[in-house]
Amino acid sequence: MINQFFAYILQGTSVTVAVTLVALPLGLILGLLFALIYNYGGFWVSRFAAVYSLVMRGVPPIALLFILYFLLSGQMVNLSPFWAGSISLGIISSAYQMEILRGALQAVGEGQMIAARAIGMTRLQAIRYIIIPQAIRLAIPPWSNEASIVLKDSSLVYAIGVPEILRRAQQLSATTQQPFLAFGAAALIYFVLVFLVNRGLDLLAEKTKLPASMA
Amino acid sequence: MKKITWLISLIVLVSLLLTACGGGAQSHLEKIKQAGVIKVGTSADYPPFEYVDENGNKAGFDIELMEEIAKRMGVKVEWVDMPFDSLIAGVQEGKIDCSISAFNYTEERDKVVDFSEAYYTAEDAFLVAETFTGSITKPEDVAQYKVGVQSGTTQDDWLTNVLQIPEQNLSRYDRADQAALDLKSGRIDVMMADAIPAKALAQKIGGLKIVYTGVLSSGPMNIVLPDGDTELAQAINDILKQLQQEGFIDQLAQKYFTE
Amino acid sequence: MTDSPYILQAKNLTKIYGENVIFKDISLDVKKGETIVIIGPSGTGKSTLLRCLNLLTPVNSGQIFLEGEEITAHGVDHDQVRQKIGMVFQNFLLFNHLTALGNVMIGLTKVKKMPTEKAKQKALHELERVGLADRAHHYPAQLSGGQQQRVAIARALAMDPLVMLFDEPTSALDPELIGEVLGVMEQLAHEHMTMLVVTHEMGFAREVADRIIFMEKGRIVEQGSPEELFEHPQHARTREFLGKISELYGKKEKK
Repeated sequence: MINQFFAYILQGTSVTVAVTLVALPLGLILGLLFALIYNYGGFWVSRFAAVYSLVMRGVPPIALLFILYFLLSGQMVNLSPFWAGSISLGIISSAYQMEILRGALQAVGEGQMIAARAIGMTRLQAIRYIIIPQAIRLAIPPWSNEASIVLKDSSLVYAIGVPEILRRAQQLSATTQQPFLAFGAAALIYFVLVFLVNRGLDLLAEKTKLPASMA
Repeated sequence: MKKITWLISLIVLVSLLLTACGGGAQSHLEKIKQAGVIKVGTSADYPPFEYVDENGNKAGFDIELMEEIAKRMGVKVEWVDMPFDSLIAGVQEGKIDCSISAFNYTEERDKVVDFSEAYYTAEDAFLVAETFTGSITKPEDVAQYKVGVQSGTTQDDWLTNVLQIPEQNLSRYDRADQAALDLKSGRIDVMMADAIPAKALAQKIGGLKIVYTGVLSSGPMNIVLPDGDTELAQAINDILKQLQQEGFIDQLAQKYFTE
Repeated sequence: MTDSPYILQAKNLTKIYGENVIFKDISLDVKKGETIVIIGPSGTGKSTLLRCLNLLTPVNSGQIFLEGEEITAHGVDHDQVRQKIGMVFQNFLLFNHLTALGNVMIGLTKVKKMPTEKAKQKALHELERVGLADRAHHYPAQLSGGQQQRVAIARALAMDPLVMLFDEPTSALDPELIGEVLGVMEQLAHEHMTMLVVTHEMGFAREVADRIIFMEKGRIVEQGSPEELFEHPQHARTREFLGKISELYGKKEKK
């Protein structure tokens, strides 16, 4: 019976992984866009990016989820609970990823931009070929942290009817009155997922690491 | 300026198109029948009304009842599991066709959704630890103790608005079993819940006893339906009446509530 | 192009930052193949002048001509212009995520859209010119300061610039590394590369420059051949400055 229960909770993993696989890249694309706008855009667009970040980091994910799913979805586009959930999480994550990337872009330094412009690169070429490749390297460690957070926050989609790991654990806890077993199983699965993500990104960081200064 | 005008016309055009596509002549009931599927919301963490069994399938009094109603409507049930608090919003915004989840009628809820006829009348119970030394002989007595309740339920509503328990003495839980566990560990003195699940909880967890039962907060249970959807309400009420007369509901109660 | 005798010409350039006049009314003619060294105390606008010449910093007034065409005119593509003006910075500014080869190649592949294989050949050739072909696959962090600066020179040379600007190219280097960079620059001068060099290396100025410009407080005080300037300076300020600088850098000059 315990095996069966564990299998039931485990089935939620695909939802958790799928939500994360949508939310995280979406957050990365939006976050990078806003970070670039913030760092290199004009006064007003840069203000806009700052306000976006402030608002999205202030909104509880569940509130955005409800607004998107219950209020907006169905008016213009019809979003399934899965997509509404993944997109809301992606939007919230984009604000945090923006902050990570913003810092990383700044850390690359003004000199790299000047040197790139000096050989005739356009601003966009400089950002794409010189600034971003260096910023991404700097961003991997904090980004790994954000990936774990999104992975765990993905459980929120249960609120609109997507049965992921945590919701399944709740159901079994209610049925069996064995919360430690049910939530323990959920925690174990999350731990494995987070471990894999962090390990993977560590490897990536190791692989893309630039040689240290000979000092 | 031109760009803005252009953008606005585009938005208007798109919304017109969407309305045109969406606003068919079909009623909600016809659409359900045509699809052959009714999307029913439930919060499957409330045994014995709705829960997940050992095989991971939905089970319980409400579940079986709704499956039977759907069968008689000639459609299949597509279960949508949501936390209890999301269900009303789900029906209200048309994300699910209706919801069965041991709902009781409240005026607040009636403002935004409709209710079917009652299919079952639930009693409330006060649950205490077996070591409890206080005395509860009438409902008002609980006001002097630390009380736990599942958040958003009619019991929550009754404790808050009718009995007006001070906030610091009222603990609200996401799920009934959490409250029961806290009761056992002594973090709260009394727990209020539906009588039937309360009995089930007391048995499963052990060390708990029921000190009072009666109809206080809730009374009848109803299926939650979209506001103003009289056609669907009629169809479901008719079937409920049949099931009542045939003794189906009594048999179901026997199966799930007496152990 | 046009038959202007000058590769680079500046007319009445003025640069103001807020209240500060960085330089005022600077005019300059650079002939093809000429090596000009600009000297002067720190903070007299020499570096800003170089940055203005390749349009990294806008001037407040005045005109700049490259091969007779005004590049300060409205609608001129600055990125196109910068491809033709090489720049070497005091602190090298190599792209940290690219190898020496990558640093030299990237302008060719991304800006000039040269096919990778061809760009690689050219980049290797440029690295050879600065004597670093064997360091092609080293990252900036794995190179000494002198080597980094030579890669930076190769990076600028790869774009086949009409003129090279050097902004204190040896100021950030340990004394023992200065020679290798100056050596490369000297060789470029012999190859008749047109060069504009801001430096405190008086030995280099004396030996390599065709013309020396002494700038102070945002103005050109005096200019002429090394001999004229070093042996017969016309202005008291020039004399004073040269006196101080040879005191400071004297030992190094003897080498």
